[in-house]
This record gives sequence, C-alpha cells and structure tokens, in this order.
Amino acid sequence: MKLAAIFFSCLLLAGCAVPVKKDMSAFAVAAPRSILVVPTINKSLDVDAPNYVLAALPVPVAEKGFYVFPVNTTKFVLEQEGYYEGERIHQEPTPVLAKMFGADAVLYVTINRWDAQFALFTTVVTVDFDYRMVAKDGTELWKENKKLQYQPQNNTSGSPMAILVGAVINAALTRAAPNYMPLTKQANQEVFLLSPNAIPNGPYRKTAQ
Amino acid sequence: MKVLFIAAAVATLSGCAAPTLYNWGGYDDALYSSYKDPSKSEALRLKLEAHIAAMDTAGTKVAPGLYAELGTLYLQSGAKSKAAEMYAKERQAWPESAQLMTALITNIQRTAPAAGEKK
Repeated sequence: MKLAAIFFSCLLLAGCAVPVKKDMSAFAVAAPRSILVVPTINKSLDVDAPNYVLAALPVPVAEKGFYVFPVNTTKFVLEQEGYYEGERIHQEPTPVLAKMFGADAVLYVTINRWDAQFALFTTVVTVDFDYRMVAKDGTELWKENKKLQYQPQNNTSGSPMAILVGAVINAALTRAAPNYMPLTKQANQEVFLLSPNAIPNGPYRKTAQ
Repeated sequence: MKVLFIAAAVATLSGCAAPTLYNWGGYDDALYSSYKDPSKSEALRLKLEAHIAAMDTAGTKVAPGLYAELGTLYLQSGAKSKAAEMYAKERQAWPESAQLMTALITNIQRTAPAAGEKK
C-alpha cells in the first residue's frame, strides 16, 4: 500500500511535467478560437458508431477552451446541403467547410475499430480512433491516434490505466451488450486533455485560468 | 484497499486536468441516447430546456452549442420562431457562432409561414 502511494504520488508529480513532444507551432500560428466537429468516418462494422462517437466529441474539445460548433446542428446543416456521409464530408476541402460555417479549424475523426470480441470467458472491447485537426486555410494543425482496449475479466495487467479503465467501465459491461461510450469518452479525455501531445488550450481555457 | 487503489488511480489521472469550464447538464449522454433511439429526441429537448432555464436563472454561462442544439430540435419540430430565438441566444453568447447562427435565422425568416406555426 505504501509502495502504491509512493508510486501514485510520483505519477502525480510527473504527470504535469512531461514535455510536449509534438511540434505545435502550426497550432500556435493558426490560434483557432472555433472548431467545427464534422461527422466521423466509420471503418468499423458497427453502423451506429459514427453518431455515438460524434456525441462524445464536443464536451472535451470545448472544455479545452474552444468554441465548438453544435455537432447535431452541424450534422443537420450538412444534411440540408446534401452531405450525409462522413466519407463525403471528409473529402470536401477544409477551407470550403470552414467557410460554410465560419469556423477557424475543422476536427476530423475516423473510427478504425469499435468492436467486442467474445471468447468463452473473456470479452475484449476495443475502440481505435484517428483524430486530425486542420486550419481553415488547409494547414494540418494536429493529429493523434488513440486505441483503448478493455478486458473485463482479465485483471492481470495491473497497470494503473487498466485499473482505471476497468473501474470506469465495469458497470457498463454488466449489461448484455457492451457499452463503448465509457471507453470512447476515456479516449477523448486522454487525447484532448491528458496526453502530453494534447492540443494546446483554447482562448476560453486561457481566460479561465 | 482496492477502493483506495482505484481512488488513487482516478486522482492520478485527473490530477493534471484543470477544473471544468461548463456545466453540460448531461447533454452528451442525452444526445447519445437520441442517436441510439430517435424517439428519445424529445427527452433531449426537455433536458436542454430545463438545463438552459436553470443556467439562465442562475446567471451562469450556458456551454457552447447548447442554445443552438435546442434551436435545431425546435426547427426540426416546426417551431421556427422558437428556433430563431435560440439561435439568436447562441450568437449573443458565442460570437464565434455568428455567421452560422445568422445564416440559420435568415433562412428561418425567409421560409417562416406567417401563421399556423406549430409551437
């Protein structure tokens, strides 16, 4: 227990001091205030995944300090303009989308995996997302990949992340169908807020501190 | 012991996260539910209405996008003037939304029927 306490306090201290690895200079130059989150591309086999992932994106990005265009309103407007599929929207040049909405940057998310593999005693739930942010002039500002897996019956790894993810998700998995949302939210939290390669703070986060 | 351990893990991971900027009033989960089961979009509307009313009464800033999301639900149910009102509130609260909100409001004014609007 004492060892664990020391271990965690080290993590606590180290967690904030990790140097930024990625070059964020393009982001600093563009200094976006507003981010348009467009419907996602789905490479998984679950046809419902794109909407579910879309619903989990605005909160972490807005909490980072950006104005996030309302995702359901964005989806509605795009459908009015004839854009129904994420694939079609992602093919559109970023400057066109940004101009249509008056956005400083566009966030594209691709769902690579969103599945549960069932074996006799274990289930492995996997989510895997690509994130890409592009400025209104077409400059790529930031990209990241996040893959998270959860094995509810397998607690042998013992890493703090596995324990946390397990704690977050346990309740959800008692249902018959696996619930991907806790893992999805966790992935977004890590990518936008916790990772050393997270996007820099937006203007509303700066003024709040 | 196990509880302590989990608490420590949570503390570790949330240690660096700054305090939240906004009260979302369960928006993301309600939006998810409405995508999962479209009959729940009524529940999303009620949730947003109650949340926005509470925030307005308390004088707390409403999180980005929430006025507009409620406006779009109104628009989809045919309540155009209520939709325009919400879009105007979004524009007032968040200047970054001005171009889109103005476009939506203009479109409503252009197409709004004079009478017989569904409330």
